[in-house]
Amino acid sequence: MNIVAKDFTPVTNVPPLKASRITKEYLGGSFKALDDVSFELHNNQITAFVGPSGCGKTTMLRIIAGLEYPTRGRLEVFGKNVQGPGPDRGMIFQAYTSFPWLTAMQNVEYGMKILKVPAAERRERTMNFLKLVHLEKFADTYPRSLSGGMKQRVALARTLAQNPAIILMDEPFGALDAQVRWEMQELMIELIEREKKTVVAITHDIEEAIYLADRIIFFSRQPGRIKADIPLTFKGGRRIKQKEELLEMPGYAELERQLFAMMREEIK
Amino acid sequence: MSKSRDASVSSLENLPSENVEAAPLYIPPKERFLEFRRQPSTQRASVLAFIGALAFFGLWEAGHYLTPASARKFFPSIGEVGSALYMLFAERNFLHDVSISCWRIFVSFMAASAIGVPIGILMGCFGNIRALFNPTLTAWRYLPAASFIPLLLVWFGPTDQAKIALLFIGVIFFLISLVLDNTTAIQKEFVEAGLTMGASRRVILTGIVVPAALPAIFDSMRNMIAVSWTYLVIAEIVGAQDGIGAVMMRAGRFLNVDVIMAGIVTIGALGLLTDVIFRGAARVLFPWNVERRS
Repeated sequence: MNIVAKDFTPVTNVPPLKASRITKEYLGGSFKALDDVSFELHNNQITAFVGPSGCGKTTMLRIIAGLEYPTRGRLEVFGKNVQGPGPDRGMIFQAYTSFPWLTAMQNVEYGMKILKVPAAERRERTMNFLKLVHLEKFADTYPRSLSGGMKQRVALARTLAQNPAIILMDEPFGALDAQVRWEMQELMIELIEREKKTVVAITHDIEEAIYLADRIIFFSRQPGRIKADIPLTFKGGRRIKQKEELLEMPGYAELERQLFAMMREEIK
Repeated sequence: MSKSRDASVSSLENLPSENVEAAPLYIPPKERFLEFRRQPSTQRASVLAFIGALAFFGLWEAGHYLTPASARKFFPSIGEVGSALYMLFAERNFLHDVSISCWRIFVSFMAASAIGVPIGILMGCFGNIRALFNPTLTAWRYLPAASFIPLLLVWFGPTDQAKIALLFIGVIFFLISLVLDNTTAIQKEFVEAGLTMGASRRVILTGIVVPAALPAIFDSMRNMIAVSWTYLVIAEIVGAQDGIGAVMMRAGRFLNVDVIMAGIVTIGALGLLTDVIFRGAARVLFPWNVERRS
């Protein structure tokens, strides 16, 4: 598949994202949302940002997206310094951002239109991604008539169709009910695996984090720092699509217990 | 699926057996006239609307006949107002006055929208533009438009320009602040999604902000054109030769209350018509926004 966003070239030995010594101060320095945070993302990995509310995980994600700027520090995408937002970092929001004035198909096309993808290729990719998110029958439907899960699938398809290097997700399934959420998680794992993407997903749902992620970065709050960086080695380097299978794996219960303990420590 | 079923999860086997009587019909509680948030059927709604209108006209007629005969001239019946209306159109070329009034509304409202809507959108998008204009515009909003009548008469005389200018002044400042609110009310993630997709500022403005805010802006325009009609009568009362307001004012001088009321009815009907046109246009222009009827 050819790369749509042209201003980056994936290089294997350079991390897709490198955050160095990121500090974010508010109110003239009296409040530190993030305090000297550094990490690297690994290629084709799903990283979950977990932590109590107010721990700066959302601020960190928005800084990566370029929607907010750090007070100090440096951000590199494939070794290149980035300032401001760009299509190399696609974002999926908790609020439904499928545009209500465009049909599902036009929504998916929209991102590629911005990148000036030729019409023929655009159409082909649009249909392709609509199929992947199981919305081909709803191509001409406005978001108003779609359910929350379907709207979120439109947003997912729109972001994937732009072919960003990194996909950022801010509690993407937070507004969905339990069953739809579960379906979306499975769909997301499937698509990320297929499209080979580097992903950062915020969640405060510990079970969701363990299910989706290859690695969990746990933030502590006030000031926001990385409390723990946990590779999910118990999965044996693969992604488990069936939740039942995951629950039966040795190491799952222990990890979940640890994360809950860490969360309790933070909210004390 | 796991093959061995967990001991704690037992399957339910009490499926309904055959040859059993159907469950008794559920009889809902009696529906009252005043049920909280209950929407009537379309049929019932039109019956209720008819009754409401009938009550209004009934009160009107009753008021007419309860007035002492000597003063009945000042409270004409529906029939008298109807015939005054007929007389106006048939003998006094009222259609000319009506179209002059509509023309004044149309021109002034188009001008106010052409200037007010873009300014409101820009102020809603960009904090600096807002800071530049908003304090001044807020002050203007508190000035009663009618207070400009003497000034406009000095500047333009009793001309069409003076009337159109008054309607323009009466509408534009409120329209700007409504459009500003409509624009800031759009979901902020729409703009952020545009930014992360790499859209330019121009694309975000014309391709995201405008379509997102337009249905609400259109609604604001519909509300403001009603205000236009209010100022129209004020404008035409002052030194106008033609227009609905001028006809009413002249009738007042001769105590022709039936003609005054005919003018009021005409303005009401035109207002209703404008509203219907705006709503219909919104349905055609913004098909994604069509309200679903339950």
